[in-house]
Amino acid sequence: MRKKFFEQMLLIRLFEEKIEELFTQGILFGTTHACIGQEAVAVGITQAMNEGDIITSNHRGHGHFIASTDDVDGLMAELMGKATGICAGRSGSQHLCKGDFYANGITGGMTAVATGMALAEKLKKSERIVISFFGDGALGEGVLYESLNMASLWKLPIVYVLENNYYAMSTHISCGVAGSMIDRAKAFGIEAQELNTNDVEVIYSSFEKIADGVRKQSRPHFLVINTYRQCGHSKSDDCNYRTREEEIGWKDKDPLTILGARLDKDVKNSIREKCASRIESAVEKASKADFPKIDSIYEGLFQ
Amino acid sequence: MRNITYCEALNEAMLQEMERDSNIFVYGIGVPDHVGVFGSTVGLLKKFGKERCFDTPISEDAMTGFGLGAAINKMRPIHVHIRVDFLLLAINQLANMISCYRYGTGGTLKVPLVIRAVVGRGWGQSFQHSKSMFSTFAHIPGLKVVLPTTPKDAKGLLIAAIRDDNPVILIEHRWLYWQVGDVPEEPYSIPIGEANILKKGKDITIVATSWMNVEAVKAADVLEKIGISVEVVDPRTIAPLNDEIIIKSVKKTGHCIIADNDWVDFGVSAEIATKIYEKCFGVLKSPIERIGFAHTPCPTARHLENCFYPNAVTIIRSVEKKLGLEPMDLTGESFYSHENRFKGPF
Repeated sequence: MRKKFFEQMLLIRLFEEKIEELFTQGILFGTTHACIGQEAVAVGITQAMNEGDIITSNHRGHGHFIASTDDVDGLMAELMGKATGICAGRSGSQHLCKGDFYANGITGGMTAVATGMALAEKLKKSERIVISFFGDGALGEGVLYESLNMASLWKLPIVYVLENNYYAMSTHISCGVAGSMIDRAKAFGIEAQELNTNDVEVIYSSFEKIADGVRKQSRPHFLVINTYRQCGHSKSDDCNYRTREEEIGWKDKDPLTILGARLDKDVKNSIREKCASRIESAVEKASKADFPKIDSIYEGLFQ
Repeated sequence: MRNITYCEALNEAMLQEMERDSNIFVYGIGVPDHVGVFGSTVGLLKKFGKERCFDTPISEDAMTGFGLGAAINKMRPIHVHIRVDFLLLAINQLANMISCYRYGTGGTLKVPLVIRAVVGRGWGQSFQHSKSMFSTFAHIPGLKVVLPTTPKDAKGLLIAAIRDDNPVILIEHRWLYWQVGDVPEEPYSIPIGEANILKKGKDITIVATSWMNVEAVKAADVLEKIGISVEVVDPRTIAPLNDEIIIKSVKKTGHCIIADNDWVDFGVSAEIATKIYEKCFGVLKSPIERIGFAHTPCPTARHLENCFYPNAVTIIRSVEKKLGLEPMDLTGESFYSHENRFKGPF
């Protein structure tokens, strides 16, 4: 497990570093929002899920996507706008959808969708649960509270995962969030918990227990994980709104450093080689792939 | 022949479809209550239970996104809004989310979601409880927008919407709920994207939407008495708009009035007029005339409200002007007035 966690987190990290590089070369379309520094959340949670559980994600979704689907090739092709991309080049970075994974670029927008998915699972009497990722920025959106209200009223099997990375674009939580985050969920009668860690193993074991309770009792749960976005909000953000001291402080709490301390150097090196070669191969395949055909623009608007 | 109301037709459509497919559920503010969205959802709770027919908090935004989630997760939700105005609180879900998912996934995701919304005219409903907003929704690629006029269309188009794998917004005018017509008892669907000729004629074409079809047919009946033959065409679906029948009619008559149950500027009438100009240039004997609401928010006072809404008389006078006729004497004609009929609740 430990090696797998490390491999997945490193794969996400190297993928996003490669994305940065490709962007500067003008190879990618649109914007991207990296999750560098937050990989433990994506990996810890998705690894504790059951097969068939549903994930909704947000604009910062590469980590969630790679950790849950492992489809680096499809994601790379999508970011390059290729026909072989997971959404045939139509979605780009922010609206990734594949199998049971659904993301979108409207802050908080998916919390309602995830809640509806949870109702569908309840009606189908399935064992599946929904995991809805969003950031601290979504705390400003009313749709989140409308959704929490319904999930609690109707006892829906859903875990709302708030990744608090302290910044909504450039706005620090001290300027955007009043009161306590978990108390907001508790006000709706929803069980809530806060984790102050970038340790993937702690997140994994905590989430296993949470998922088990949600699945067995069909009820919502609200989980806050305090982490840190080491990179900018999006491409072209130079982070002038925070201090270098603050950034250095969080470097010590880098999820790869924390877990890396529990692994042999040789093991880490071989994992690094494997991840790097997968990413190179993804870039190569995506580069060679075709763009969508121009006359396909109207295809698939309606069934 | 079996005559039932538009409202009963809507109700029957949902009842029969919910019996056929257990994945269909209906929800929204007031859906299972004693009034049942002006009677259209009455009896569904008793028949299908609270799992498939349920009330919601007043949270239009989340409720609409909720429908999207259930739809892409293999259910077939019907979300009901007692006013179109309230649906505007969910415009993010409609324009950013629901409309995009199928296209944005390269066609792999299905979104079988039906949204029913009611135009609540009358009884001094004023500017936040009476809107139509047809073109606002039709402007967004990825949404189908259907405006049933007759009881037969209400049942057939709602069934078609429920069976459709795309998001469909069905906008129902409150006054149409009392319209009575022949409706087959068995389930049937009317294809979305097919216009209907409500009255055949040869002198002038009136393209009307929703309630304005009732006014247009009334105007046509009155004009018939002085020998004017009006063809009334109801597009029924405005997105995607199939203009075939409209164009054929205008090519035959050479004159066209568009009577939209909505504002004129930037509205459905502008879109239809453009299609006609593009395809009937050189055939038109007069410029197209457009009839719609006064370009103001809807006022409450009755005499102002009457001025805000066009009606059959407005249409008759427009036809006379267009064909160079003297205004006919309308003494003794009775026209529709449901202002006093719709008294709530809600």
